[in-house]
Amino acid sequence: MSTKGDVSPFTLEIIKNGLIVASEEMFYSWGRTAKSPVIYEVLDYAVGLIDSTGNDLVTQAPGIPGFTGVLDFAAKEVVERWKEEIYPGDVFVSNVPYDSGTHLNDVTLIMPIFYRSQRLGFAVAKGHWSEVGGMHFGSWTSDSTEIYQEGLQLPCVKLFIEDKPNRNVIDIISYNSRLPDFVLGDMYAQVASMRVAARRVRKLVDKYGLDTVLDAMDKLLEDGEKYARLKLKELPKGTFKAEDWIDDDGITDEPIPVKVEVKVTDEEFLVDFTGSGKAAGSINSAYPSTVSGVRETYMAMIDPYTHPNGGFFSPIRIIAPKGSVFNPQRPTPTSTFWEGMSHAADIVWKALAPHVPDRLSAGHFLSIEATILGGFDDRTGEPFAIVEPQPGGWGASHDQDGESSLVACGDGETYIASSEVYERRTPIIVERYVLNTEDGTGHGKFRGGFGAVREYRVLCKEASLTVSAGRSKYPPWGADGGMLGTPNYAVVYKKGQEPKKYRKVAALKMLKGDMVSLRTGGGGGWGSPLERDPERVLLDVVNEYVTLEDALKIYGVAIDEETLQLDTRKTEKIRRDRKKK
Amino acid sequence: MGSMVRVGIDIGGAFTDLVAYNRITKDLKWVKVESTPKDLSTGVLECVKRSGIAPQDMEQIIHGQTVVINTIIERKGVKVGLLTTKGHRDVLEIQRANRRDMYNFRYRKPEALVPRHLRLEIDERTMADGTILNELSTGQVERAAKRLVNEGVDSICVAFMNSYVNPEAERKAGEVVKGLFDVPVVLSHEVTREWREYERFSTATLNAYVLPILDRYLGRLQGALAEDPKAYMAMASEGGMVSFDFARKYPIYTVESGPVAGVIGALGVASAIGEKDIIALDGGSTTTKASLVEDLNPEMTTEYHVERDRFRPGFPITVPVIRTVEIGNGGTSIAWIDEVGRVKVGPRAAGADPGPVCYGRGGDQPTLTDAYVVTGMLNPEYLLGGELPIHRDLAVNALKGIADSLDTGVEDAAEGVIKLANENAAYAIDLVSVQRGYDPRDFVLIAYGGSGPMFAPFIAEELEIGRIVVPVIPPGVFSAWGMLNTDIRHNTVYTHITRMDATGASETLNRIYNELEEEIRDMFRSEGVEGQIVIERYADMRYYGQEHTVRVPIQGGEIEKVHLKTILESFHQIHEREYEFRLEGDPVEVVNFNVVGIKRTQKLELKELPEEASKAEDSILTERRVYINGVYEKLPVYDRTNLARGSSLDGPAILEDPTATIVVLHGQKAAVDRFGNISIRSVGR
Repeated sequence: MSTKGDVSPFTLEIIKNGLIVASEEMFYSWGRTAKSPVIYEVLDYAVGLIDSTGNDLVTQAPGIPGFTGVLDFAAKEVVERWKEEIYPGDVFVSNVPYDSGTHLNDVTLIMPIFYRSQRLGFAVAKGHWSEVGGMHFGSWTSDSTEIYQEGLQLPCVKLFIEDKPNRNVIDIISYNSRLPDFVLGDMYAQVASMRVAARRVRKLVDKYGLDTVLDAMDKLLEDGEKYARLKLKELPKGTFKAEDWIDDDGITDEPIPVKVEVKVTDEEFLVDFTGSGKAAGSINSAYPSTVSGVRETYMAMIDPYTHPNGGFFSPIRIIAPKGSVFNPQRPTPTSTFWEGMSHAADIVWKALAPHVPDRLSAGHFLSIEATILGGFDDRTGEPFAIVEPQPGGWGASHDQDGESSLVACGDGETYIASSEVYERRTPIIVERYVLNTEDGTGHGKFRGGFGAVREYRVLCKEASLTVSAGRSKYPPWGADGGMLGTPNYAVVYKKGQEPKKYRKVAALKMLKGDMVSLRTGGGGGWGSPLERDPERVLLDVVNEYVTLEDALKIYGVAIDEETLQLDTRKTEKIRRDRKKK
Repeated sequence: MGSMVRVGIDIGGAFTDLVAYNRITKDLKWVKVESTPKDLSTGVLECVKRSGIAPQDMEQIIHGQTVVINTIIERKGVKVGLLTTKGHRDVLEIQRANRRDMYNFRYRKPEALVPRHLRLEIDERTMADGTILNELSTGQVERAAKRLVNEGVDSICVAFMNSYVNPEAERKAGEVVKGLFDVPVVLSHEVTREWREYERFSTATLNAYVLPILDRYLGRLQGALAEDPKAYMAMASEGGMVSFDFARKYPIYTVESGPVAGVIGALGVASAIGEKDIIALDGGSTTTKASLVEDLNPEMTTEYHVERDRFRPGFPITVPVIRTVEIGNGGTSIAWIDEVGRVKVGPRAAGADPGPVCYGRGGDQPTLTDAYVVTGMLNPEYLLGGELPIHRDLAVNALKGIADSLDTGVEDAAEGVIKLANENAAYAIDLVSVQRGYDPRDFVLIAYGGSGPMFAPFIAEELEIGRIVVPVIPPGVFSAWGMLNTDIRHNTVYTHITRMDATGASETLNRIYNELEEEIRDMFRSEGVEGQIVIERYADMRYYGQEHTVRVPIQGGEIEKVHLKTILESFHQIHEREYEFRLEGDPVEVVNFNVVGIKRTQKLELKELPEEASKAEDSILTERRVYINGVYEKLPVYDRTNLARGSSLDGPAILEDPTATIVVLHGQKAAVDRFGNISIRSVGR
């Protein structure tokens, strides 16, 4: 194997690992120093290194898979906008969704890494800032109709100029946020983490030389591409189609059609979203988010364990019609982009699941049912805010049940906060946090996992609630004769009023004693319920996942109510009769 | 004459080791027998028998075991029933809902150890401020416990919301159950007083899951050896020892006793040679572990998980454990070529069976050990004092595949594999030190374990570490030896959020520390431990709004208002070291209060070697052609056991003894200290 000059394959490997370590160091550093739980607990952030041209992701460390595809856009933007005016110690800030991102809360910082006067690449860190202004507390919302309502836009400007904080920009950020302390604390931690990575990369250059390190970066990308093409050869070839619906756009009740045609060849993974509809509300997935969604399913299918980079992703080509929910244009709002993005990941998944069953399950609850509950704590007079995703049910596979109560596909090493921590920190009591067995799940030979029920009762004078639940009208899809999953929604209990069910609600005033019940659905089933092993059905009944009635009605399994024994003969007869029908 | 022998017994995967120290003669004796997995106590008793030490001579027996960790990993624990707060039945199943294996769309969490039908809800509720919203009904507890007992559970765990603040309800429920049934009852707040329900419930459940098993096991040993029941001590994961009685009640405190004993051993060596800041490097067969210790005070964490790795979340255990990280490759890690033709080492390992290819036991994939053999760094003819023949030809064959696909010579491939593996380990050490705000160059690397001494010189070179020490104690019994260096320790952590700027903060601090100290003293009293107890106080502190905390040592005695300033200043300093920034004006809060009680035991001392006039050259066994830095060089091979105190030699060189091989690289100088430890320094550092 020839490498540039006389660099040994072992040295290259060592440098490649060093670059991966640089990303990891950056990731840990920000996570441990950030001030907001959405960074350090929810890990709603990602970091990476981009090559010197700004085009290709070299290494990444995402806390969530929803950020798998959005780092490279930001570096590219810096190079295009600032050209020659990129100097050592500069840090750029960018959050405009159509250019580099997801929604305005997700703020990307980009720092060029120099070795003497030579630019080696960029450190990029993107994460959720708790508050960037806009019409509601927490900034993102489901009732916006223009991006201007969603917060402050930071169009790739200099946040630091040659190592010095740029007061002008920082003051604007500070004045436009309802939680400036949190935001600035996170921001300084974010910058510090990028410096850690830069130091590591420079150390590699000190030791191995500039050319060798640049060579290793190229090799990383080359290897990634080579590997992806090898794996692509193993996928079934052809054109795979799927169609589905997004519940609504948050503005009207009209559903939005989503369509995909995935063409897999030995060379290319072509994803065409032509035919997908438009959305007026904030569920729009800006093009970079759509790329992220596709990359995620691509990774799940090709190799969930690789260190991905620009080379690995290079076979992907995406066609997303301008103006559609997968490629919105200014000033379309995008602040609940994950709804659209998850559908981008999901529809590709749906098209391929029957053909790649060892990697892809049936559909999952999909919507992260993002929730904000915030206000002022009467006891301390200080503001509080819970900003969180809800966990839900995942789909079954051809050989196993789906998992219960996991974060959605856009989230990964995302921890749902502890109820005890909430109760200690906020004027809220968590009355219930259990599996949602009441609403059932997608039954099948293998059944979907169960969603969750999480109930918050407000103990302070007044609080504000925002919930955005997708897949409420169109539940998760089943596969191979498995049943549909169950919907996501929320129920609000107010004193003296009937409980009210919501799919989406923005800035609803909650008074002392009011309660919200957040419910997520079960995942889709795989195969016919009549083929489920009766012993498994019995176990589900014993554990109170499935009722006796459902065991009989859905699974055709007869169980004695008193002894909880399986009636095998009766079961066989029922199943035989039903199959005849 | 009375008893004067202290005995350390360590059960490993393959062997059970015993080290005995006579504190009068300072003689050390060791015995090794094969472990007896069916009933581990058989091996232990056999080990004692072979040592020839009479029970009446045993002053203290310190035991580290793998019963707890193995029971968990093999899922061989007992049937546990759980009583929990209404509305929170599924805490153990929901867990934190994270998808650690995040691109795997078929991901499954670790299955809850208590199935749903054995998790019963009790209608009771304590609030976060400790007030009781909803009183517990004893009738309901009785009915639920009865149902669990009828289901045949072997232990019952009671875990209620907010019991870390006010454990009253758990206590009451526990009394009800104990009054009715003769079944072990574990109350979550007794195992840990930290907040976060999943983590606490998980810890308590695991304790209940292993309790009857460790209880039986220790019961069998107790009485069979020493006469005095007070002599029996169990090694705990925080690096101290606790009485058998304590361990039988809180077995989960001993979950990591083996690896931790090695760290304590390294500390023993460090203090003998006057070093304070060390990295303990334990080179094992399948992985290597490292612990960073500042000022001889190992870092304690309660953020430990069993079975956690890059893709598996494992189960959280919030009991104090010395922070140890797995940093990668072990002696049998496999070198391989990936799909795109790049070379990798690990994480797969050949383990003990079949072992490296060169052992000739059927292994056919090249391991790190094979690479060492091919270069000649490891003896290409025999290992372990001649007991185990080495087949270099087989190793060469195995590495040829790697060499061919990289278009290099076999020796280049072997050396490359060694460098790659060691640099990866160095990266990992760097990552953990940088993460904690340390610079590895400020530390001494103490290398033990079967492969530690052959990895360390490479790792030290990469990290620019100035000094490596390979202890005189053979690696095989190092953990057991470490046990003889431990103190009796008790440790209590209590979550109570306290703002430092609140009025009455100093009173709160005093009240809590005094209460916790009293608790600790009670624990010692109940074990019959007398004499002076050293008390250390710590606080896990953070800036208001942050989640992660830093551990700050707190002075003893009465804390007055003026002292709060000093505490705050040390917090800012430690925070700045670990996180590179301080937020001077921001409010600061204490999250956890931590008190450690230590009863010092008489440490064993390393025996000084006699002064000898002989030079290192006298111990040269032979010369060997070794492939190093891309060329063959003739290196002297020294018999380590023969090297006299004070002798020194220049690298490159090889030092061999029956249990380990030390590689001294170019630019490194090895010397034998007065105890027989090998100290390797980089020339010019």
